[in-house]
Amino acid sequence: MEISTVNLKHCDLIALSGRFDSATAPDLERALRASMDAGTYRIVLDMTQVEFFGSAAIRSLVQAYKECRRFNRGDVRLACLPEHIHNVLQIAGILPLIQVFDTTVTAVGSF
Amino acid sequence: MMEQHALCVKSNLVNLALISEFVGEQAKQLGLNEHQVFDIQMAVDEACTNSMEHAYDGQDTGEVTVCCYSENGDLVIKVTDFGKPFDPSQVPEPDVSLPLEQRSIGGLGLYLMRRLMDSVEFSKQASCGNEVTMRKHLNLAEQH
Repeated sequence: MEISTVNLKHCDLIALSGRFDSATAPDLERALRASMDAGTYRIVLDMTQVEFFGSAAIRSLVQAYKECRRFNRGDVRLACLPEHIHNVLQIAGILPLIQVFDTTVTAVGSF
Repeated sequence: MMEQHALCVKSNLVNLALISEFVGEQAKQLGLNEHQVFDIQMAVDEACTNSMEHAYDGQDTGEVTVCCYSENGDLVIKVTDFGKPFDPSQVPEPDVSLPLEQRSIGGLGLYLMRRLMDSVEFSKQASCGNEVTMRKHLNLAEQH
């Protein structure tokens, strides 16, 4: 599991890689928290390399989504979502509420 | 004769990756497609997370066993633990139609298990704390 955050002009781009299960979801939560604590509420998650995204990771995502959208100050958007994870997020009712983009360029450009 | 494969690990969340690999391998060998393998890995991950976090209260000294076999055209996966009894009826089902702002935080794991597998049954055994039996049909390889 790897997480890397790039601070862009209009948003943070957080690239995720590997497994995000109950053991590693806290790392995702910390990365999202770090962006929000730094005052960045516009976040793109690059999901290209994500192999697994369990309910604990979904909860971290939803928590950040709620917090970023509070006071209309931002949003969390997803880019390059693998099909099997797209399916799980759809079953969980997360999509289409969270916006998904085909590329990180369009996701970042949407802010 | 029914061939069974089992994996027993300590109740530490770091072992979820190992369990996922084991279950994925079993499902692939039975001819399930990539999507079905992923669905099974998700469901088993949630079941094992429940055992580790709730039945064992996050203590890593317990044991979780995952047993796989095929029976009557199904892949059957049993997850057992020796932790405190777990009653799934006490976990409210999340309303996934609500706006995310109004969602409650719990119940998603059980909900995903039920949606991703063809059947999920919970039982409390005298010999072991909890047993979750999940089934996925093997003859639906073209479906998700």
